[in-house]
Amino acid sequence: MEHFAQLLHLSPAMAWMVVKLIIAFAAPLVLAAVLTWVERRGAAMIQDRIGPNRAAILGRWRLLGLVQLAADGIKFFLKEDLVTRDANKTLFWLAPFMAFVPAMMGFAVIPFGRSFVENGTAYHLSLLDPGNGMGMLYPMAIGSVAVYGILTASWSSNNKWSILGGMRSSAQMVSYEIGMSVAVLAIFMTTGGYDPHQIIAAQDSVLHWNVVRHFFGFLVFFTCMFAETNRLPFDFAEGESEIVAGFHTEYGSMKFALLQLSEYVHIVVASSLIVTLYFGGWQVPFVKDPAVLLSVLSFAGKVVFFCWVFIWIRWTLPRFRFDQLMFLGWKVMLPLSLANLLVHAYFMHRWG
Amino acid sequence: MAVVVKKVELNWVDRTYVIPVLKGMAITIGHFFRQIFTPSRKRFTVQYPDWKREPAPGFRGLHELKRFEDGSIKCVACFMCAEACPARCITIEADEFGDLNRLQGFAEKRPKNFQIDMLRCIYCGMCEEACPKDAIWLRSDYEQASYDRLGMLFGKWDLMNTYADKDGKARITQDPTPSVPRAPGKA
Repeated sequence: MEHFAQLLHLSPAMAWMVVKLIIAFAAPLVLAAVLTWVERRGAAMIQDRIGPNRAAILGRWRLLGLVQLAADGIKFFLKEDLVTRDANKTLFWLAPFMAFVPAMMGFAVIPFGRSFVENGTAYHLSLLDPGNGMGMLYPMAIGSVAVYGILTASWSSNNKWSILGGMRSSAQMVSYEIGMSVAVLAIFMTTGGYDPHQIIAAQDSVLHWNVVRHFFGFLVFFTCMFAETNRLPFDFAEGESEIVAGFHTEYGSMKFALLQLSEYVHIVVASSLIVTLYFGGWQVPFVKDPAVLLSVLSFAGKVVFFCWVFIWIRWTLPRFRFDQLMFLGWKVMLPLSLANLLVHAYFMHRWG
Repeated sequence: MAVVVKKVELNWVDRTYVIPVLKGMAITIGHFFRQIFTPSRKRFTVQYPDWKREPAPGFRGLHELKRFEDGSIKCVACFMCAEACPARCITIEADEFGDLNRLQGFAEKRPKNFQIDMLRCIYCGMCEEACPKDAIWLRSDYEQASYDRLGMLFGKWDLMNTYADKDGKARITQDPTPSVPRAPGKA
């Protein structure tokens, strides 16, 4: 590490920050890009179809449809950039970034590997070092900010269907955020800290994983993550059967791609949140002190698995009706997570 | 008319949603793995431009105007198909001619122009049924596309050559039987 820093004429801490920055930005982006392929291909497989396989390099190498990613990218960049006549142009341009940037930011605090010490310096594998004072509150807060992007997109495009989609998205966010936060609160309580490092350190064996101790909290959190990422069964912002395409009806070309990509980045971030909070983060099952690389691989494997679960559930469940969502959010999820919190509080009071 | 929505009573296991969702996920992942481990030839979908589908025996596709062995058209321009056609897509111009040939016997009429508007055709097979000479058949050709509307007007020669290559017949663009119009006044 220090040798590498000298090569770049940087201090080791600075070089390490740059490396972490690149990893923390590139990894979710690359995974999100691959997820678009996994989504289309996986959906096809689940529905007994074949999926994208026509795009080919030089008309020959199809690579199981992976070339489609490049084709999509080229197409999105070269498409005509339409803005509707009465749209609020500034906000219309701004909205995709407002959706994309918070989605990317959520990953900053999540440790994607074990911290290690080299030459007396501690290196942490998360963009923000532990002890930054924000802990897991930060991704929760940032995650809900992303709804502003959707609302802005829907408002600025001056389309009634879009506005409906945006309003539905915000209503959904309100009704799910509380249950989710209370579920996470129970974890903070039993762990005794809201720093992701503390939460991961507390889950040192499979039986101590929070999914075992907070099973109902996990159910609530997992469900709320679907609402947070705007995925089926809770993709009310873009219910194409009721409101055309929802908030991105008027969007085309790269702006649409950015909105779409932010959804996939959201999936990656949501999966890493689930992994960190409930599945032991970078902890490797049945290995006490994993090597750094092993811990990173373990984290990546878990995240990829949960990304797949997101896609898997999307193609299993139909969309909920809006009143069903409200019912679920206010009358099931919130009481359930509150009960979870109370039960844990009671047992903590009883047995310390 | 009011639609009566049937209320389904769920038991408490189903009302938790968790177990039914897991069941559903098991079904979908089963489909996923079944599709992955099926060789691509045996999958349900036909990858169309690469592999073509063999239509069922009764499939009614593009029309063919049958011809005799010597190449002359079987159609005698009786207008039966045009009359039977519910979509009114067949236009026939009759042509009288006098030279008898061996296979045609005593036929003295044939279509000068035989046009089917494929955009209107509904592939019902009525023309097939109506034809007394068995001259028009609907067969398995389902690939019909064109860049403009004119291209979907199939004329006499298009229809006579529909299956020429597939059946090993020669493509013809001229009627091999001489067409000498009957001289006026002669019986």
